[in-house]
Amino acid sequence: MVPRFGSALVLLFCFGALNSGLAAAQETSYFVTYSQQLEEPGNLEIAVSPVLGFQRGGNSFLASSTEFEYGVKGWWTTEFYLDGQSTFHDSTIFTGIRWENRFRPLMRDHWINPVLYFEFEDINGADKTLLEVVNHDSAGDAAIPNAIARRDRQHEMEMKLILSSNFRGWNVSENFINEKNLAGDPWEFGYALGLSRPLRLAATPRPCNFCRENFLAGAEFYGGLGTTASLTLAGTSHYAAPILAWQLPSGMTLRLSPGWGLNTNSQRFLLRWGVSYEVSQLGRHLGKLF
Amino acid sequence: MGRFKILALVALAGFLGISAASSQSRATSATVSPALAQAPAKARLRQNPFEGQPAAVLAGEKLFREHCAQCHGEDGRGTGRAADLHSPVVQNATPGELEWLLRNGNLASGMPSWSGLPPQRRWQIVAYLKALR
Repeated sequence: MVPRFGSALVLLFCFGALNSGLAAAQETSYFVTYSQQLEEPGNLEIAVSPVLGFQRGGNSFLASSTEFEYGVKGWWTTEFYLDGQSTFHDSTIFTGIRWENRFRPLMRDHWINPVLYFEFEDINGADKTLLEVVNHDSAGDAAIPNAIARRDRQHEMEMKLILSSNFRGWNVSENFINEKNLAGDPWEFGYALGLSRPLRLAATPRPCNFCRENFLAGAEFYGGLGTTASLTLAGTSHYAAPILAWQLPSGMTLRLSPGWGLNTNSQRFLLRWGVSYEVSQLGRHLGKLF
Repeated sequence: MGRFKILALVALAGFLGISAASSQSRATSATVSPALAQAPAKARLRQNPFEGQPAAVLAGEKLFREHCAQCHGEDGRGTGRAADLHSPVVQNATPGELEWLLRNGNLASGMPSWSGLPPQRRWQIVAYLKALR
């Protein structure tokens, strides 16, 4: 079933790609932090975001998240993720799925723009994508062998308050993360902060791939904040990661981000990279079919 | 694996349904006029810093093809889904009103906010829109 489902997604992608034209989204460069930017209505973004992690006291790993992001309305974006990981000298496993929705409650642009985020996760304890760090998540969690960690199935509801501002070409975004294991554990908290800017603000008259306007540089910071039982920075993991993104006019975006753990609870080093492709007006073409 | 099959099918069906349903959004000339009317006086009076610069029109055309043509059409005449940018409603709008509409979008009728583009690029798009007349 998994290969058939994969084939269906590939067909969906090919259908959209063949019917779509040029489409460049207004991307931010972040991997972990969300901004106010939603997917343009009718567009589908397909992205693969691997992370190579070097653990303290454990085997290195390569985890990956494949995402399908669709703009339902101007104020609503839905996204579906498939996650997996391969730990060196251990095994390669599928770690689960996530389904998220983001809503803009205010219809106008403001100094600070809130976005509400809701996600359902059906993942296991071996997930290492580190797309959000909450609670007292630490490097020690990722050192557990896959055969043991995967037995811990987690059904979680995650909510984020995303606050984001665009000012003179800069984007500044703050995410406050709340996560709840539906099995009954306490609420877990985390944060993510991001800052980015294009290397050139105005566009040049001629189409170009390598001009500065197509590059964004920035940084993000993220980590855990404990639980309702102990809301704290102590004993939690924290990361800092500069980011560089290259937006090609064809609709493809390439991103790279080396990240460093800021304390001994964190992974030593994370290298993230990502490829995303924008399929324009998929909804319109699908709408013609029904 | 049985549970994954069900989840995958539900997700795919939901995705196709949402995709098809969302294609109903319309941001036509009829919805542009009330949206432009909401622009504050301060925004309406703002002048395009690229006024009279042919290079800005060319840059705006490039940006238009990258970001806008998929809905408004390559020639900006509209596609039934998005407004005709040659229409009097758009062409009679001030540069400040158009930049305000680009920044805020018209989310309820399907036009996204383009506040993620630097202001310089929004003004370049406005320069191109004004050159369509």
